[in-house]
Amino acid sequence: MRMKRRHPAVAQRRILSLLAILMLSSSLPLEAATDPPPKGISPAKVADYLHAIVEADRKVYTTQIVKRMQEQGVVLAREDWESKNAIPLPAQFLHYSSKIVAESGSGIRFRLISLWPIYLRNGPATEFERKALEQLNANPDVPQREIVSTGKKQFFQAVYADQAISSSCITCHNSHPLSPKRDFKMGDVMGGVVITIPLED
Amino acid sequence: MEAAKVSTKSEKRKKGLTRKLILSMLLVGALPLVIGLLLAFFQGTQEIREVSGTSFEALATETARKLDLVVADELSRTALLAINTHIIQLLETRRDALSEVKKNALAPLLQQENEAWTNKDSDLLSKISEGPIVQELLRHVGGTYLDAGFPVPVITRSTTRSLYITDSAGRLVASLDDKAPYLNAGENWWKGAFHNGVGQPYIGPIQFDAQYQTYTFTLALPIMDSLRYEAIGVLRRIYDAKEFFAPSIDIIRFGKTGHVMLIDSRGVVLSCPILPTGTSLSDHTLIPLVTPMHPGWTPAPSDGHGGQATSIIGFAPLSNTSRITQSSNGLSWHMFVWQSSEELFGPIQHFFKWTAAFGLLGVGLLVTLGYLAAHRIAAPIRQLQEAARRIGHGEFQEPILLSTGDEIEELAEEVNRMNQQLASQFAGLESQVELKTQEVKYLQESTTQILDSVPDPVIMIGPQEQIEYLNQASKEALVPNNGKVAGTSLFQLFQLDPPTQEKLRREIRLVQSSVFTTPTDAKPDQPIKKLHDPLSPTSLDHSGGDRRELRLNQRTYRYRWFAIPAPPGKEPGIGLVLRDITEESLLQDQLIQGEKMASLGVLSAGIGHELNNPLVGVIGLGEAIQDETDPEHIKEYARGIVQHGKRMASVVRDFTGQVGKQFSEAKTLVNINEQLERTLTAVQAVFPSSPVEVNTRLAPLPPLPAKSFELGQAFTNVITNAFQAMKDGGTLEIATAVLDNEIHITIRDTGKGIEPTHLPKVFDPFFTTKGQGEGSGLGLTVAHRIITKLGGQIRLDSEKNQGTVCLIILPITSNKPMEHKEA
Repeated sequence: MRMKRRHPAVAQRRILSLLAILMLSSSLPLEAATDPPPKGISPAKVADYLHAIVEADRKVYTTQIVKRMQEQGVVLAREDWESKNAIPLPAQFLHYSSKIVAESGSGIRFRLISLWPIYLRNGPATEFERKALEQLNANPDVPQREIVSTGKKQFFQAVYADQAISSSCITCHNSHPLSPKRDFKMGDVMGGVVITIPLED
Repeated sequence: MEAAKVSTKSEKRKKGLTRKLILSMLLVGALPLVIGLLLAFFQGTQEIREVSGTSFEALATETARKLDLVVADELSRTALLAINTHIIQLLETRRDALSEVKKNALAPLLQQENEAWTNKDSDLLSKISEGPIVQELLRHVGGTYLDAGFPVPVITRSTTRSLYITDSAGRLVASLDDKAPYLNAGENWWKGAFHNGVGQPYIGPIQFDAQYQTYTFTLALPIMDSLRYEAIGVLRRIYDAKEFFAPSIDIIRFGKTGHVMLIDSRGVVLSCPILPTGTSLSDHTLIPLVTPMHPGWTPAPSDGHGGQATSIIGFAPLSNTSRITQSSNGLSWHMFVWQSSEELFGPIQHFFKWTAAFGLLGVGLLVTLGYLAAHRIAAPIRQLQEAARRIGHGEFQEPILLSTGDEIEELAEEVNRMNQQLASQFAGLESQVELKTQEVKYLQESTTQILDSVPDPVIMIGPQEQIEYLNQASKEALVPNNGKVAGTSLFQLFQLDPPTQEKLRREIRLVQSSVFTTPTDAKPDQPIKKLHDPLSPTSLDHSGGDRRELRLNQRTYRYRWFAIPAPPGKEPGIGLVLRDITEESLLQDQLIQGEKMASLGVLSAGIGHELNNPLVGVIGLGEAIQDETDPEHIKEYARGIVQHGKRMASVVRDFTGQVGKQFSEAKTLVNINEQLERTLTAVQAVFPSSPVEVNTRLAPLPPLPAKSFELGQAFTNVITNAFQAMKDGGTLEIATAVLDNEIHITIRDTGKGIEPTHLPKVFDPFFTTKGQGEGSGLGLTVAHRIITKLGGQIRLDSEKNQGTVCLIILPITSNKPMEHKEA
């Protein structure tokens, strides 16, 4: 379905980006943002919050769990973790939790996508996603937001940069036989996290 | 029968050596061969098992990986359809349309459309099977779908049995044929792939599809909306399982039977070059062995193809595919690699058979050669054995001629030498034996003559009291009328009363148990041996009823048993020597009586002397009275006469008291000291002029039950001897003492002593060193007899010219001497 790995924003930048979002929000052609919000919370903020959590979870998994496990020889993280008695790679961790979130039926979804996915299913699904990834590649700190639609359904989407925060991320992507790009470096934007929030009537 | 047994046994023994030799050759030669062969076979089998197992595992792993890739490839290619923008747009439209439909109106609408489809409504039919989306499907399946790097292989095209798309309500949207059902929302594959709108790939289990008359499996993919937010439809593709997998599996063959097959975790065959698709493994117990979620190999009790032979099976799961199938329907797919055991172990079994055949041949050869060799070794040994047997039986034979050139030949020479030696020795032995036999005969004859010339009867009896030999004397004395007695019992010859018989038997038994070699009580017998006093008929009396005398045919015999050493293997016999003592004992009694009288003479001489003095006094006083007129003097003289008379009367009283008692005297309590003094006085009277000084040291003694006359007689004899030894003067010392419950009486003189050579004979009867008329030679004999009768002992010790000591020891109480009838 989707595939990609890497890490985006860092915690210190969180506040900065929130500020940027607030400033940007007035200039964006978003109904929800342009209208003076009578009550509730804007989807952009929801997306930010969610991303912060997703981001934090994966960072903990990557730097505190996988790294330590592997360093102490407890268990390896590998792609075929299910059949090899291992644990998922950080990217797989995100895919897996994304699936669980989708199956929960709450309507909120997130995906990890990339312009250079190992599996095609993890490529950008829409033009917006492609453009957002390109934008993030140039400017990782600015999340891309858009109201998108499928048929008559409308969604708020935000894409956050996913940067290489661990050497194992780039090693794997630079050597995987199916990987289309093999010159990643630490800190590179490897893809993005797409958060999709349905806009109900 | 016994003989037959023996001959069989010796026959067996004869062959024993040959058999042993062959056996040892077999053990040395064949056993290592057989063991080596078996070891090689088992080791080889084991190694083949290991090697094949790991190879099979590797092949299974590799094939599984390959199939995983094939399935993944098929999945991603089919996924191209699921991301087709036309299809997505159409399905989005339909989703939006559906959202317009009121909830309660949905069911009737679906029903209505389904009926139309079933009735082949032309509008619906054309819409579904001819629309632009169908064109997309056709382009994909037909291979004209152009997507760089994803040309559709011919295989998957031809294996696709059906391909159709449903919308988010499960309604058929587009299909390549009209066989697809219209409503699918209730199907497992639909629910699996739609996954409540989340969408995930679904691979169905293999099952027989009646529509296509073949075993098929379903691949169903969700079609996501353009945002990939949710599933808006499902694509289903049905594959012919056999055709789909066969190109990847059937080509892998090795040997005649080696192949791989794909099964699911139920044991159902998806594809196998041998088993038809859809069948189950013949042995269900195999399934858990070969379907773990990791690769491996196992020796299995059967092959899963209907054979029951132990098989080596390699296996590996299709891990990626199984992830999908497991989340779809709980099943997993596995590779199974197998080769028939006959083929697998064929070469080594072949090798084993050949080696076994050669081994057998080798063993046969060994046995034959072994037999020949053993025969060569055993034949001369048997010849030797035969010769030795004949030599052993005393048959001297011609020299053995063997020329084996080894130890056996040497042995034969030794046997020959031994044979010669034996022959010569036997010759010498024979003459020696002759000589010895003559000697034995001479000995026998001389023994018989000696025994016959012995005047005393000598009888030899066997262990059962049967008479074995009688000498001439015994025949004359005991066998009336020269009757035949050899072999009859001793007690047939001896007519004895039962108690005596019993006593003799007891003695016989004692002799037999060789305890009787010395008489029952050693102590009483000692004097007999030491003192050589065969005339002392009472020497054994005090041991109580053990008197060794017999009365036979009105004659009295003294007898003695002696043990005869037994010849080898026989029980020892017993000899009996009898001595007729009828006359002897008569004579002895007379002699003893005479001696007693003689000592009486000594006594009477003493008494006479005693009487003589007062008598002279009486006579003198009587004469004085005749010439005396003075009545006063006469009275005085008369008083003197009376005094002398009284003294004489007392002497006479003493005398009569002694003599009168001598034969009938019963035992009384005798004061030994008084008796000694009395005797001393009597003897001193016999030697009035003797210049002997007498010292007495008499300790207080308890009275002793004895015949005082006899005791006095004994003392008289000893003391008389002492006086006689001191004719030229000396000192006589008489001492008594009590020591250890015995009375010790020591009579010591300083006389001329006894010659050492005479000392052992002093108690012998008639032994004397005194001149004619001085002594009878019975004095000490009688004294000895009296003392021993009292249970005492008498010893003499002497040194020439120094003196003699006589020690008399009498027991005080316990050992009361028995009363005997004998005088």
